[in-house]
Amino acid sequence: MNVRAPPADPEGLRAAATGHVLSCTGLTKSFGRRRAVDLVGLHVDAGQIYGLLGPNGAGKTTTIKMVCGLLDPDEGTVAVAGRDIRDLAVRALIGYVPQEVALYPDLTARENLAFLGRLYRLRGRVLGERVDEVLEVTGLSDRARERVEAFSGGMRRRLNIAAGLLHHPRLLVLDEPTVGVDPQSRHAILERVRSLGAGGMAVLYTTHYMEEADRVCDRVGILDHGRLIAEGTKRELVARLGEKDRIDLVASGDMEALAAACRSVPDVATAAAVDGRVNVVAGDGRRVLPALLEAAERSGAAVHSVEVVEADLESVFLHLTGTALRE
Amino acid sequence: MPAPLLIAAKDLRQRLRDRSALVIGLVAPLVIAALMSVAFRGVETFHFDLGVVDADGGPVAAQLVRALHAPELSPVITVRAQDSEFRAAAAVRSRTLQAAIVIPPGFSASMTGARPEPITTLASVNNALAASITSSIVSTFTAQLDADRLSVATAVAAGAPGGRVAALAGEAAGLRIPIQLVQRPVGSRELKPVSYYSPAMALFFLLFLITFTSRSFFVERAEGMIERMRAAPIRPSEILAGKALSVLVFGTASMGVLALVTTVAFGAYWGSPAAVAVVCLAMVVSVVCLTALVIGLARTQRQAEGIASAVVFGLALLGGNFVLVSAEPDLLRRLALLTPNGWALRAFTDLATRGGGLHTVAVPVLAILAFSAVAGVAAVSLSRRAVSA
Repeated sequence: MNVRAPPADPEGLRAAATGHVLSCTGLTKSFGRRRAVDLVGLHVDAGQIYGLLGPNGAGKTTTIKMVCGLLDPDEGTVAVAGRDIRDLAVRALIGYVPQEVALYPDLTARENLAFLGRLYRLRGRVLGERVDEVLEVTGLSDRARERVEAFSGGMRRRLNIAAGLLHHPRLLVLDEPTVGVDPQSRHAILERVRSLGAGGMAVLYTTHYMEEADRVCDRVGILDHGRLIAEGTKRELVARLGEKDRIDLVASGDMEALAAACRSVPDVATAAAVDGRVNVVAGDGRRVLPALLEAAERSGAAVHSVEVVEADLESVFLHLTGTALRE
Repeated sequence: MPAPLLIAAKDLRQRLRDRSALVIGLVAPLVIAALMSVAFRGVETFHFDLGVVDADGGPVAAQLVRALHAPELSPVITVRAQDSEFRAAAAVRSRTLQAAIVIPPGFSASMTGARPEPITTLASVNNALAASITSSIVSTFTAQLDADRLSVATAVAAGAPGGRVAALAGEAAGLRIPIQLVQRPVGSRELKPVSYYSPAMALFFLLFLITFTSRSFFVERAEGMIERMRAAPIRPSEILAGKALSVLVFGTASMGVLALVTTVAFGAYWGSPAAVAVVCLAMVVSVVCLTALVIGLARTQRQAEGIASAVVFGLALLGGNFVLVSAEPDLLRRLALLTPNGWALRAFTDLATRGGGLHTVAVPVLAILAFSAVAGVAAVSLSRRAVSA
């Protein structure tokens, strides 16, 4: 079953309210016949970390590019601190951290930062201080004079984020900043994002890692097929599910057949196969479990372990879209 | 500092760190210009050894041998007497001699007959110029003989007494064919090969900036840096201006250094510094426009490399960077005028031979700028798309 909820705020009316650091209303973008982003509206306040959650291809990066002025929307508006993004000066209020590390490998860390800082009109002593500051914050001060090509992947990621912070933006936009990062660097990045939010910066953070959104975001928007299908705090979103549990079946065999068998069980809202598991959302996990195991046996799949967990963002996504986030 | 200057300064810093850029921009053209200089050293004072086999020993043969020893020919030819055609041929084959003339037995006596004996020339295929000069000397001499024979025959046919034939022949031999080919250069100086190939190679490697810059643009785009710059409060046109400025500075510096080094080290003569600077600048502008056009046309780094290579080698071949334009067929000489480098070479050639200043290069510079304008207009719309992509 593929359930699609209506957009949380189709007209972006709430975002039109003043006082938000970022306000997007009715953002729409098509590439040929494919509508990549469809009437997305969201707002981010100062000190808030907004997680834009969705699988690959959901429209997260397209949305972010419109937010940063890198892509013109077909419809809708983007305002930062109340000013239209088409005003070039507004770009100085945004710190953009692209998904791929965007640095010159043949320049040193300091040279990269100095160049980017100058593009944001930082000069002289202020520039030097800001470069030192972000190098310190990202733990790269002792490598400042080394070329980026000599850096590890994690160091590059940290420097990539540092480059977005140089000019003290009011809005920091991070596009999947932890993709391909080792656990230690990932932890450091997430902690840094949390502290930036706590320091008053508005942060727009895209990810397809549910646990990251769970850990750092104050507010989450779930994007699927270009539409913002749900938005709210984690508690608000989970509350949408009502009294439901998530049951994870680790199994082998035909996982799609297993998922289909699970969906046929009464009181099961939805089920989806992902990575050798079938995630099931059901009313009362413990009560429905025997019926699920019978259904699994009928499907021919071998169930190795079962876990009943409280509903979380993964459950919300599964419930709303009928698919697992990492499919 | 304005954004274009920041971007240009950053690009130049990267370029100075990139050995391949320095090799293409400075080292390679210097090395090739040096090689060309060595290869063509002595061409402007061409001299060769000519063997002469006088198997006739008669008065006409003696006259030819005397002509070969004339003071006018001594800077070009040293005459070496040979015993036989066999020995002369062997000397030419072994390259002891570059060419030889064989005067057959009975040559002088045959001059009064109906069928004069032919003179044979021996030449090596490896020395086309020596062969050409030898053939030209022999042709001129035999043409003179034919004219003499015709004069005498005409006099006899007109009723001159038989006793006067020998005297008439002597008088005819004293005459010279009135029309002779006299080569005189249009310019006041002779064009030394090094003065041609130094700018030719400098221009050829300047064209390589198209490949180099368009490739680095796509690398930069793939690395996400173009997008990162666009996220900053600067316009796409400022990014393009920065890129163009870096090509302008690097190209001008490269041409300037090459002009200086080839002048000082190899004795190349480029012409008036002001005029040279204007031509170089116009040419660099055309390279900037062509680079923007390639970037606009290509969608990937590979496409950019392919298109740029075709443009660079096409222009170099048509423009005369590899072969002296004067040695090219007429069609290619005309096609050279469709290329900016062809016009630039014409300007440098004019400066090196005719001298003069800005007025000498006015037409070529205008032609280069017209080419640049066409390429630039086409590039503007396409390049904006490339930056925004």
